[in-house]
Amino acid sequence: MISRKLQYVIASLVVAILAMGFYLVHLKRKAESMGAGPVTQALTAPVNGPAEQMTLYIASDDDDSLRPTAISSALPSDPGERGRLALHTLIIRYLQKDSPHPLGPGADVHDVFLPDPASAVVNLNAAFANSHRSGIEVEQLTVFSMVRTLKSQLPQVTRVRFLVEGKTRDTLAGHVDLAGWLDVAMVTDAFKEAK
Amino acid sequence: MPKEHAIIVRVTTLLLVLLAISFAAEPRRISVYAPQASYQVDILVREGIDYVGVTDLLEPLGRIESHVEGKRLKLTFNGGEAEFQEGKRQYRARGNAKLELPGNFLLVDGRGYVPAASVGQMLPRVTEQPAEFHAGPRRLFIGSTQVRFSAELRHSPSRLVLSFPTPVSPSSLIEKGRVRLLFRREPVVSSGADSVAYNDPFLQSTNFAEIPGGAEFIASIQQPATVSIGDGGRTVTIAAAAQPVASPTASLPVTQTPATTPAGNSTQSRTPAARAHPFVILDASHGGYETGSVFSPTLMEKTVNLALARRLQKELDARGIPVVLTRIADNLLTWDQRAVSANTSHSTLYVALHSSSSGHGIRVYTSMVPPPQAGQTTRSFLPWESAQSPYLGQSSIAASTIAAECGYNGLPVRSSAAPVRPLNSVTIAAIAIEVAPLGSSADELGNPEFQQKVAVALASGIATLRGKLEVAP
Repeated sequence: MISRKLQYVIASLVVAILAMGFYLVHLKRKAESMGAGPVTQALTAPVNGPAEQMTLYIASDDDDSLRPTAISSALPSDPGERGRLALHTLIIRYLQKDSPHPLGPGADVHDVFLPDPASAVVNLNAAFANSHRSGIEVEQLTVFSMVRTLKSQLPQVTRVRFLVEGKTRDTLAGHVDLAGWLDVAMVTDAFKEAK
Repeated sequence: MPKEHAIIVRVTTLLLVLLAISFAAEPRRISVYAPQASYQVDILVREGIDYVGVTDLLEPLGRIESHVEGKRLKLTFNGGEAEFQEGKRQYRARGNAKLELPGNFLLVDGRGYVPAASVGQMLPRVTEQPAEFHAGPRRLFIGSTQVRFSAELRHSPSRLVLSFPTPVSPSSLIEKGRVRLLFRREPVVSSGADSVAYNDPFLQSTNFAEIPGGAEFIASIQQPATVSIGDGGRTVTIAAAAQPVASPTASLPVTQTPATTPAGNSTQSRTPAARAHPFVILDASHGGYETGSVFSPTLMEKTVNLALARRLQKELDARGIPVVLTRIADNLLTWDQRAVSANTSHSTLYVALHSSSSGHGIRVYTSMVPPPQAGQTTRSFLPWESAQSPYLGQSSIAASTIAAECGYNGLPVRSSAAPVRPLNSVTIAAIAIEVAPLGSSADELGNPEFQQKVAVALASGIATLRGKLEVAP
């Protein structure tokens, strides 16, 4: 026979656990809703014009993945400036405290040039490369996320090359090759095969 | 009282388990497979209904422009117009004004959302491409992207051959009693009977199922097995594992004889078994002032790589597999010197060893060079930067075999192509392996037990490769 006192204890425990459960489920849904919303952050120089959708391919160190994330922003019509703004926005995301793929302080992109419509040259600053973590996986995630983000803004681009302070660099941080052109289709295919 | 305590413990445990299960669920996303790209889109839950962003869905598929006017979202996709209104089910697409969603359209922060259950009907109206939505596993197929496969059990030796119309690259996990193939990126769907009983001495049964984020194929086996990918990724073979060959030289003392390669500065170490034709050349990456990653003030990548190479060399020696090393000391080699060492070593397989504190487990990489052109063979004259092209097939076999063996040894593993030097310039099967700790501390990389576990798994994979790879010319 269970005593009356014990029955009260069990009933209180059940009510407390259920209440906690419902509250946590509520918090989880709220967090999911917020997570699916647009990323709000400051861009560089304000650009006039209607807001457009921009897809950032955000790298995640936790599961070695690239996650497409759409944001709204006014974008310039000049292709080079448009590409630079997209990459700058991506880098800002990586520099935030809760970054899924942290970059070193001061990392940024100087310019994006299009010597021809199908080719893009990304000129990174020294801090980007010098403070980058070393490793194949971590460098690959950075480079691939930038290539795919650039492609989403400049669909005509089929190959991308990276410079650091205007000069060719052998590797980003000792592993991933920066010296040659990267074929955008191969970058996309390579990550299809990942995991 | 003990009985009452037991009741309290059971009730509390049950409730906590239920709570934990609800939180352990996968993040809710829709996996989209289209001719242009495969991607995932987040689900937004509102009032118990799953919603998905219209622009998130459409952006990777083509040119989309959208803008909000009051409560209306107007979008143009590849020249066709569509219009949705907040709180309404009715929508208009490409001139058809009498279309209806199963739930109300949502506008949140200027972004439009439709009920996830509607995407199978809504997308063809907007994109003019057929679409099929599998609600349970949350997989959306646009166009005719579904990949169906056939499975055939062959004998002498027993092996299950899965044939696909397009290349696939599943991750494989080999455990005692079963092989699990996970297709995360490929739109693989059921080809008929999902569960098949074979009752073979090697293969008991197979089961196929679509799951959130992909599809899985499970083979229940009764012997140790290996997984290999062939025909350019169009066949996946699950075969009984061959027994390691006993080493005739295993009891011989190992003496390292440095030899100079044509590259001049690089140094190779050959065991006695390696003097004729080494099977594998191990390249401990970095060295000298080029330290690679610095894990701690006393632990650097170059040191871990060399320690791994030495342990792997010892394991291969014990299996009678001839092996050479590009470096046996803390000296620096250039990328080109490493490639020349590999190309002149008469080995069949080149393995570059790396280590990293980021991530978990083993990553196996193949070169990211273009596939060989028509008529291009290993005897063709090729640019230095893409000399690996004709060997990509063999490199892929090496990567998938070693990845499978790592999985069988309980190490998390993934494989992909990556622009990593000097793979592009190596003219034999070539892979790079990056080893990361299983836990959160990089100190594990310097742990002899961890290094040994990795070395055993890699040696098993390389042993399985013998006979699979053609002998280098």
